[in-house]
Amino acid sequence: MATYDSLFSTLGLKDWCSEGKSDGPMSMADLLAKTQSKSNSTEPESLWDLPFPSMDTLNESCAAFPQSRELTKGLEQGFLAIKDNLSLVLDPVTQPLSWFLDGALYGMLNTPWWIVIPVMLAVVFLVTKSWKLVLLVASSICLLAFIDYYEYAMQTLAIIFVCAFLCVLLGVPIGIAMSRSNTFQRMTIPVLDMLQTLPPFVYLIPLIFLFSVTESKLYGIAIILYAIVPVVRLTNLGIRLVDKDVIEAADAFGMTPRQKLFKVQIPLALPNIMAGVNQTIMMSLAMVVIASLVSAPGLGVLVLRGIRNLELGVGLVAGLGIVILAVILDRVTKASLARINATHKQ
Amino acid sequence: MANDIKISIKHLYKIFGPTPDVALEYVKRGMNKADLLEQQNHVLGLRDINVDIRDGEITVIMGLSGSGKSTLIRHLNRLIEPTAGEIRLDGTDVLSLNEEQLRQLRREQMSMVFQKFALLPHKTVLENAGMALNIRGYTIADFESEAVKWLARVGLEGNENQYPHQLSGGMQQRVGIARALVSNSPIMLMDEAFSALDPLIRSDMQDLLLELQAELQKTIVFITHDLDEALKLSDHLVILKDGEVVQQGDPQEILLNPNDPYIIDFISDINRARVLRVRSIMKKHVDNDGDYAGDISEKDNLETVLSRSGGDTDMVFRVVRNGEMVGSLSMKDLTRALVPTDASTARTNRTD
Repeated sequence: MATYDSLFSTLGLKDWCSEGKSDGPMSMADLLAKTQSKSNSTEPESLWDLPFPSMDTLNESCAAFPQSRELTKGLEQGFLAIKDNLSLVLDPVTQPLSWFLDGALYGMLNTPWWIVIPVMLAVVFLVTKSWKLVLLVASSICLLAFIDYYEYAMQTLAIIFVCAFLCVLLGVPIGIAMSRSNTFQRMTIPVLDMLQTLPPFVYLIPLIFLFSVTESKLYGIAIILYAIVPVVRLTNLGIRLVDKDVIEAADAFGMTPRQKLFKVQIPLALPNIMAGVNQTIMMSLAMVVIASLVSAPGLGVLVLRGIRNLELGVGLVAGLGIVILAVILDRVTKASLARINATHKQ
Repeated sequence: MANDIKISIKHLYKIFGPTPDVALEYVKRGMNKADLLEQQNHVLGLRDINVDIRDGEITVIMGLSGSGKSTLIRHLNRLIEPTAGEIRLDGTDVLSLNEEQLRQLRREQMSMVFQKFALLPHKTVLENAGMALNIRGYTIADFESEAVKWLARVGLEGNENQYPHQLSGGMQQRVGIARALVSNSPIMLMDEAFSALDPLIRSDMQDLLLELQAELQKTIVFITHDLDEALKLSDHLVILKDGEVVQQGDPQEILLNPNDPYIIDFISDINRARVLRVRSIMKKHVDNDGDYAGDISEKDNLETVLSRSGGDTDMVFRVVRNGEMVGSLSMKDLTRALVPTDASTARTNRTD
């Protein structure tokens, strides 16, 4: 006899309950309870011990009632059932991501270092116009190369460049659409909130089911989902914060909505959009380390090796390498942001 | 003045709120602004506005904040849609225009100058000045000479390649005016264009506007809350209160014959000697016999006459227009005109 027997008999469900009686597999907890003592499974003596009417408790009283493990199992089976159809659609759509990532990794690793490093420094100078930063980047990369971490660092950078670029490519239009329609904003914000709060490990699990772990788009998608949020949010915010007077002037002089977007809203929102890009780059760096769990190459793999094999030194040095990359990426994007801000003073 | 009517506004109503059409019925039946807000939860923006704006004149719309003057000016280019009424520009119904025609109207017929300048912060002064032409599809090379010309005309020679934030407020508004002039539209809407500037600069800008107007004779609609500014600039003055026209007409006429306590309050603080002109208070006659102390122009203000008389109240001046006598002005009449109207005095006594 269990606690909620009387509930089912009052509701007249006794027959239904006994129908569902089966000798299904026993859970570990049941087995333990059974072997320990028989007295525990009897009815509780007082109200203090009344268990919450949870799925498992109700199952004790009525065998036809599902147990909680059947919920998770059902979810899993449901997902597996739609998985094939889902990947039929998602696979071709996301295939270019694999090409981009593989191409970038191949390009970064097969171009000689004496071309890659100067090109990167030239880009840094172009966007920041600061020799100090060029020097910082040069010495950081040379340091990483000197301790033979060049290849790992370049893999990490290649993944970040591809993912951050795609985040901007997708995120800015989404942000613009959000700024134009309150309904779309209301629909999008919960999704963004979820992406931002869901622990990355959680959405790695379904991704592993959907895509093969050997494909690079798996970690690409994981990184993009995680890092796209700030650029979407800040594009939306930036466009909504554009000075109403300037918008009114644009209307008064007869701008078309398109002219308004490209001549007024985007340029004036650019400082905010760039702040979003900075955040997106930093978040893809954070995610690329976690994504090493699903075969993303780069410094993350070394960190993972450090944890798995307890190679303290490797883990620490790889971690330091990630910090160095973070610092130079942050400084460079902030410096270019500051240059944009300087021309946007009101 | 027989200028043609450029813009005519007839029975214009604007009500802000979720169901303005329902509220409009209450307003037409005479519900006032406070009751409408309390009982219907709608804000009365404008009530039964009838104004004719004449070609080549400066029409000043004056009122305190909340009187609906900014709302009214935004109806002219339909930045705000009216609830009911009619707006005609050169005879065409502005309210019947579709989106494309409206855009055409905004590009070619009307330009606007804003209180907070509303320049594009990421564009140079030159590009800002040419904004209207840029919108119509011209490139910098096309509009550069035109923009440079008007920038020079408003006193910004050599600032073409600076950014707006490098300029002072007064200079930024000069860019705003140049932008409106470069668009070469016959109508200029100026929404409290000088209110954000300090008094000296403001006075400079008013002089600049009058100078430009003498040269270009555009149709200007000017919004202000400053009576001195209104009297200095206006050919036709419209006074708004709580979304209604209280009085409109020749500013001198309004000053001498205010028909509402609200206006009397307004005009009691101004320097009448500087604003009133000889033509408004002179006696009209042409008999040239008399002992005149000298000739004065009908356009002189009373301050000028006062300083010429040296304080002698027995003098009588001959008033001339283009060298011909049109009337006379005695210093006694002048002194009397300086006293704020009796109505105003009575009102002040009552409140004491």
